[in-house]
Amino acid sequence: MSSSTAALPDGPRRISRETLVKWAPLLVLVVLVLLFPLFEWLEDFRDGKDHIYLLDSRFLSIRNFARIAISASPALMVAIGVTFIILMGSIDLSMEGTVSVCAVMFALMFIGMGGTLASWAFLAIPGALVVGAVMGFINGLVHVKLKIPSFMASLAMGFVGTGFALLLTGGDRIRVEDEAFRSLLTVRWFNFPVMCYVALLGLLVAWFIQSRTTLGRNFYAVGGGEELAKASGLNVNRVRIMGFTLAGVFFAMGALLAVGRIGIAETATGNGFMFVSITAVVVGGTALWGGIGGVWNTLIGVLIVNVINNGMVVIGLPNWVQDGTLGLLVIAAVVLSTDRRSVSFVK
Amino acid sequence: MSFIKKFIEQETISRRNFLLASAYGVSGAAAMRMFGPSPAMAASYSDPTVAWSYRNRTNPYWNEIVSGGEAFVESLGKDKSFLTHLINEGSSEKSLADVKALLAKTNGELALAIDTNDAPNARPVVESCVEAGAYVSTLWNKTDDLHPWDFGDNYVSHMSWSDEGPAEQTARILLDAIGGKGGVVHLGGIASNNPAIERLNGLKNALKDYPDVELLDAQPADWDTQKANQVMSGFITRYGDEISGVHCANDTIAYGVLEALRAEGMDIPIVSYDGNPQAVGLVAEGKILATVFTNPHWGGGITAALAYYAATGHFKPSEEPNEHREFNGPSIFVTPADAAEFKANYLDNVPTYDWKDFWGPSNGPIVYK
Repeated sequence: MSSSTAALPDGPRRISRETLVKWAPLLVLVVLVLLFPLFEWLEDFRDGKDHIYLLDSRFLSIRNFARIAISASPALMVAIGVTFIILMGSIDLSMEGTVSVCAVMFALMFIGMGGTLASWAFLAIPGALVVGAVMGFINGLVHVKLKIPSFMASLAMGFVGTGFALLLTGGDRIRVEDEAFRSLLTVRWFNFPVMCYVALLGLLVAWFIQSRTTLGRNFYAVGGGEELAKASGLNVNRVRIMGFTLAGVFFAMGALLAVGRIGIAETATGNGFMFVSITAVVVGGTALWGGIGGVWNTLIGVLIVNVINNGMVVIGLPNWVQDGTLGLLVIAAVVLSTDRRSVSFVK
Repeated sequence: MSFIKKFIEQETISRRNFLLASAYGVSGAAAMRMFGPSPAMAASYSDPTVAWSYRNRTNPYWNEIVSGGEAFVESLGKDKSFLTHLINEGSSEKSLADVKALLAKTNGELALAIDTNDAPNARPVVESCVEAGAYVSTLWNKTDDLHPWDFGDNYVSHMSWSDEGPAEQTARILLDAIGGKGGVVHLGGIASNNPAIERLNGLKNALKDYPDVELLDAQPADWDTQKANQVMSGFITRYGDEISGVHCANDTIAYGVLEALRAEGMDIPIVSYDGNPQAVGLVAEGKILATVFTNPHWGGGITAALAYYAATGHFKPSEEPNEHREFNGPSIFVTPADAAEFKANYLDNVPTYDWKDFWGPSNGPIVYK
């Protein structure tokens, strides 16, 4: 990073392109957070209401940030899971099925073992994480042992998951009404519900895995150059399977928070997670070809997507414009936040 | 390597046999058709296959519909599995292809209940069935120019629901509850879906009589709990305390709205639609003011029953008046006052319906605008 700045001739220190690309996602987020209040201000100005820019913003308020954080928390867990896979240059599309299965299995275990956190039912939480790990492990096995591209293997496993969840529920929805478990949503510390702190903890764990463990470093090695990693004696297959297993655990975390948020586990619990998580990872600046990015990028990406979703409703954008706008913003964010000069071809 | 040679030989022979057999099959079937009963003449069958073609069972609504179909075949003294399921997964092409395949397999001895996934697909489905001599009853989707009475006996009936009126009534309950003034928001279904449009129109109709109530916003939540949850939090940010009531297009949306309100510690009246068991429970607790039960269990059962009893010759559709061939399904209001009673009557014990009482619970002929 410093080499390119050093190479510049004398004069004012310019920000290198690399630095810019590195911080672009955060920049996009900041711009968005300032942009939506501007629209609000324009609207109130048109209506002749008193409105001091930023200060009177409904969007830029702690309460609204809490709302954004609530909707971002489950998505963040799922997106972190898929981040590890994308770092390896693979892709995991099984999240919708895995989240549904974990949510439903959690609810069934939770209700079956007492239905309140104050009983043995708390075991349903590690139970759900194990279910996620098993799903991810199978996913990884199918990908590595049967040599099916991760795209297809995981997509297929996702369908299997959705089908299995349907089999478990028979199409019904299971309510999880335990006050202690729902305190994930209802209890707030410093204005933010408990689930946001759980997600934050998950993020820190993911960061630890990414930066302080051999497995984390191996993800980068595989994504940066699989041949090289293999030649250096790395058991790439093992890393892949462990990666998918880890992703499964984070999908399960996402499932737990999703159930905590709406108190319902059903086959549809996983719906929508594929789009939001993949978009978030890419918008955050993690490259789809692997080796670049990480969980902090994903945090920014998830926040960008959720800020856009929330902001569009807050400024009252007509619904038929919302989807298109989101698509355009995604393209813009990817253009800004990834360095595509170093990539010789895009597939 | 002789075993390989032998294997290839065997394969060649079996493939040849297969080709011969299938060639015979096609021409044989054609010959049968030539000498068999003319398809235009309605034949009755003693034991037709009964099939339900629908989107999938993930959705509680369709799950109820199909459970009605299963209850009907059980009333015939058969096992649940006697009902053939054609699952279109939201694809009109698959819906039509499945029907054609089943027509070929059953030689037209078929009683089909179907939601054709979208309105234009109803015509090809009906025409294929009529041509093959099968009996078909449709639910929800058909174009306005397609009528059962134009197809003799084979297009038995069409059932739909008119949601505008009931949605207007739930809206009135909501608007009265907020004292006839303030702001309401509407969370709708998939914007292009007919029920979604009708339910929003119902709210708008009711609002005409309440000049002091403002419709602050209406956004689609795609019949999805999580989407509804997010849209509602957006509304809360945008309008905050201006929102005094919420009109939801269905129960799944209402669940998401309730949780968004709960997260904010807000408690404002909401109304809903569909009468799912959990929503009825919430009505009984007073958390939802009203929902409308459309009795999908009966709808699913009676649609299959109509096709079946027409196919067996129990009744002759062409002798029935038009309002027996195109009619609206029932809409039953559920409010806190009668929720417990309703739950006991309809949900805790699913009533045993008389599947030969085709029009008893129905709700008048379909009116085209």
